Amino acid sequence: MNNLRRNLKAVYARAYVRIVGMNREPSWVVFTIFLPLLSVAAFVYVYKATAPPEIINSLLARVIIGGAMLAFWMNVLWGMGNNFYYEKELGNLDLYLMAPISKTSILLGMALGGMFSTTIRAIATILLGAVLFNVSFTLESPLSLGLVFLMTLTSLYGLGMLFASLFLMYGRGAWHTANLMQEPIFILSGFYFPIKFLGFFIALLASFIPLTLGIDAMNQLLGGSFAKKWSLLPVNLEILILTGLTAVFFALAVKALNFMETMSKKEGRLTLRYM
Amino acid sequence: MSILKTIKYSAWLGWEMDSNWTDPFLFFLYSIVRPIAGTFLVVLMYWFIKAPEDLFSLMFIGSIFYMYIFNVLFGVSWVIQEDREHYKVLKYIFIAPSNIYLYLLGRALSKTIVTTIAVLITGVFGVAFLGVKISLTNPLLFLLTLALGLTGIAAFGIIMAGVSLLTARHNFFIGESLAGLFYFFCGVIFPLSVLPSWGQIIGKMLPMTYWLEATRRALLGFGDPSLSDMPDIKILILLVAFAIGFFFISILSFKFCSNLAKKKGILDMTTWY
Amino acid sequence: MQSLAIETRALVRTFKTEKGHITALDNVNLKVKQGELFGLLGPNGSGKTTLIKILCTLLYPTSGEAYVSGYDVVKESNKVREIVNMVSGEESSGYGILTVRENIWLFSQLYGIPDKVAWERIDELLKLMGLEERADTRVHKISTGERQKMNLCRGLVTDPQILFLDEPTVGLDVNASRTIREYVKKWVRENGRTLFLTTHNMMEAEEMCDRVAIIDRGRILACDSPSNLKKLVSKEVVLELETSLFDGIDLPYKFSIEKNLAKNTAKMRFLLEDESVIPKIISKLTENSIKLISLKKSEPSLEDVFIQLVGRGLHE
Ligand SMILES: Nc1ncnc2c1ncn2[C@@H]1O[C@H](COP(=O)(O)OP(=O)(O)OP(=O)(O)O)[C@@H](O)[C@H]1O
Ligand SMILES: [Mg+2]
Repeated sequence: MNNLRRNLKAVYARAYVRIVGMNREPSWVVFTIFLPLLSVAAFVYVYKATAPPEIINSLLARVIIGGAMLAFWMNVLWGMGNNFYYEKELGNLDLYLMAPISKTSILLGMALGGMFSTTIRAIATILLGAVLFNVSFTLESPLSLGLVFLMTLTSLYGLGMLFASLFLMYGRGAWHTANLMQEPIFILSGFYFPIKFLGFFIALLASFIPLTLGIDAMNQLLGGSFAKKWSLLPVNLEILILTGLTAVFFALAVKALNFMETMSKKEGRLTLRYM
Repeated sequence: MSILKTIKYSAWLGWEMDSNWTDPFLFFLYSIVRPIAGTFLVVLMYWFIKAPEDLFSLMFIGSIFYMYIFNVLFGVSWVIQEDREHYKVLKYIFIAPSNIYLYLLGRALSKTIVTTIAVLITGVFGVAFLGVKISLTNPLLFLLTLALGLTGIAAFGIIMAGVSLLTARHNFFIGESLAGLFYFFCGVIFPLSVLPSWGQIIGKMLPMTYWLEATRRALLGFGDPSLSDMPDIKILILLVAFAIGFFFISILSFKFCSNLAKKKGILDMTTWY
Repeated sequence: MQSLAIETRALVRTFKTEKGHITALDNVNLKVKQGELFGLLGPNGSGKTTLIKILCTLLYPTSGEAYVSGYDVVKESNKVREIVNMVSGEESSGYGILTVRENIWLFSQLYGIPDKVAWERIDELLKLMGLEERADTRVHKISTGERQKMNLCRGLVTDPQILFLDEPTVGLDVNASRTIREYVKKWVRENGRTLFLTTHNMMEAEEMCDRVAIIDRGRILACDSPSNLKKLVSKEVVLELETSLFDGIDLPYKFSIEKNLAKNTAKMRFLLEDESVIPKIISKLTENSIKLISLKKSEPSLEDVFIQLVGRGLHE
């Protein structure tokens, strides 16, 4: 009981740093909401320059949804994945390892804090995008949409929690890998065009990235008939798979975390810089 | 002589830092794969929509040369961030007798070299497999354009580096966002004419727009139709002004920003959370 | 067993490095009683931090056992963590974007301290450390010394049964060091807590600790109260010489050299069994054209104990 309370407090405290940190920089609003919209805008105009009018709305909707979800992906990579590494650099990691809490709580706190602040950015992207580029969304089933969004986030941040330990263990090598993965994942997760275009088999492989199914489902629920024509799997099945992915990533994250902690104690390696 | 030495040394140091003292091959792979994948994202969008061939070629050239803007311009401003908060060496570079401006120029050079390889690989791939037809009607124009453009871009990067001295970690977002700004307004992946008229006006005020246009004309033999009223020579003059102008501005503004940073005592701030 | 705060049995820790194995701790047997101020004195690289890390559950022993409050640091690490805290003089922890207060609060939450209690303690601690004016300053703006004080507050805010301090005053000025020493000492005495302190500052060890263990190259060479330790050298004559700066000299006696580059002098401290060799030393120095500036006999200190045990100075 005591233990649970302590862990919850730790989750809250770590999330607090994230949220306060983001809000404490006044430049935040401009740089995280308004300007990223510009890169979305670039892709919007690609379709404006090339797409036939009858499908353009559905494509623009996809680009805007993609831009919003992209914020989460970036946050998972650079906010979650890199985080333990930075904590180590800062000298905080040993303090977390030494505290009487589960290290998962620290990761959860980071995830919740990141999710919260990124959600604001994502919502702003969608609203502004819809208004500026005159895109209409056909909202079909709010309940399913909410569920899809939730499960996409949980599986995505589950993956982020896994990354945190992997990034730490593999150091800068992992950093490069993430760098390497960034754009290919833009391609494979269907941010800007339906992934099914690359063939069903590639799409299926890409589904290991939780974004892929999440984005596909969201497009089905928001993008009208053209999006449905290019859909990968039925929405309900996608929700189910996302739930499964959440469980898998979470379990792997806890495993990796324990492995990392044990290794650091055994080899004295992950804590070399500090003290 | 000692100027050249510093630049050479910084370029080498930059390489070591960028590749993080580890396997240079890995780093090399990564810094090439990333921008290339970025290009292919747009290539796939064009394929998905079955866009016309000329439009595709314009986009392709714009997209691969944009790598310089992304890697060099934002790479150099990111140097400040990284040296300050990751390696924590910024203040030592500042107190070292070598000139920090030259240091940044050296880092820009190392980034330019790596990017050139990425550009070449993608370009060759595009010609061989994606049906991009390079005619290289005007090699002289191309070389001149490249030299002027890269000078201007490096200088621009150093101006941004100066700004980074004064901002928090958000210059990660500044980089990302400004990249978006140029990507959007310079007509990198779509012709300028689809932009609303105010957007076209902004685009026509940015030097990078003309750099990409000159590059396209030199390599493809044609450019963005919405810029066809600009003769080559006029574009060249603009590029000369861009390179020289930004070079001087970068020297002055970097000095100003670093003095201000010293005055505010934020040379070694860490803003991670 | 119950009354022991810390106990180690045949503790060994080795590290694998590129050059082979390093033995950081070699058969360490220590017993620290509850309520004790215990010091571990040793030169750089002698294994002090390694021992602290093991006791704080950050590192496994290679062999041997360690208990904190009777809990096995390996098997019952969670129990240990609840009752200890550790502060290192060298740490740079914290988030630059948070204020001093918030940083301490953050780490107190990992120990489940209720908010109200935490804030009260934080304000009290900051006041005692003379940091109240810095309370709402962001951490990236405070000085190294202020940071160290903040870290100490972080260690104390959870009110641990056993506090580990790893060279807590390294780099601090005399006043700040004194504040910290006095406060920690008072805190231990008044609350019946236990302190485990490492230092290579013999004055600090002498001033603060009930008992001191001397460690060198991973081995405990002696462990007793400062006054008892000094008895090890009570028969010896301590001779302090100030000389002109020189490179090195070979003498068949136990001594330490501390060079003062600014003043261009060197301080030599001899531990002699017999006064009669003093003329020999002086003539040897003149032979090597080393100028003698001053000479005095002095009281034995812990440093001399170290010289006696190891044959060289603590800072060499
Ligand atoms: N994680 C590690 N990996 C490899 N070697 C290590 C590691 N930690 C410590 N060592 C080595 O073990 C020995 C003891 O180090 P330790 O940090 O315990 O010394 P210390 O007494 O705290 O020294 P100082 O006074 O400099 O802080 C040193 O030789 C050190 O290089
Ligand atoms: Mg130490």
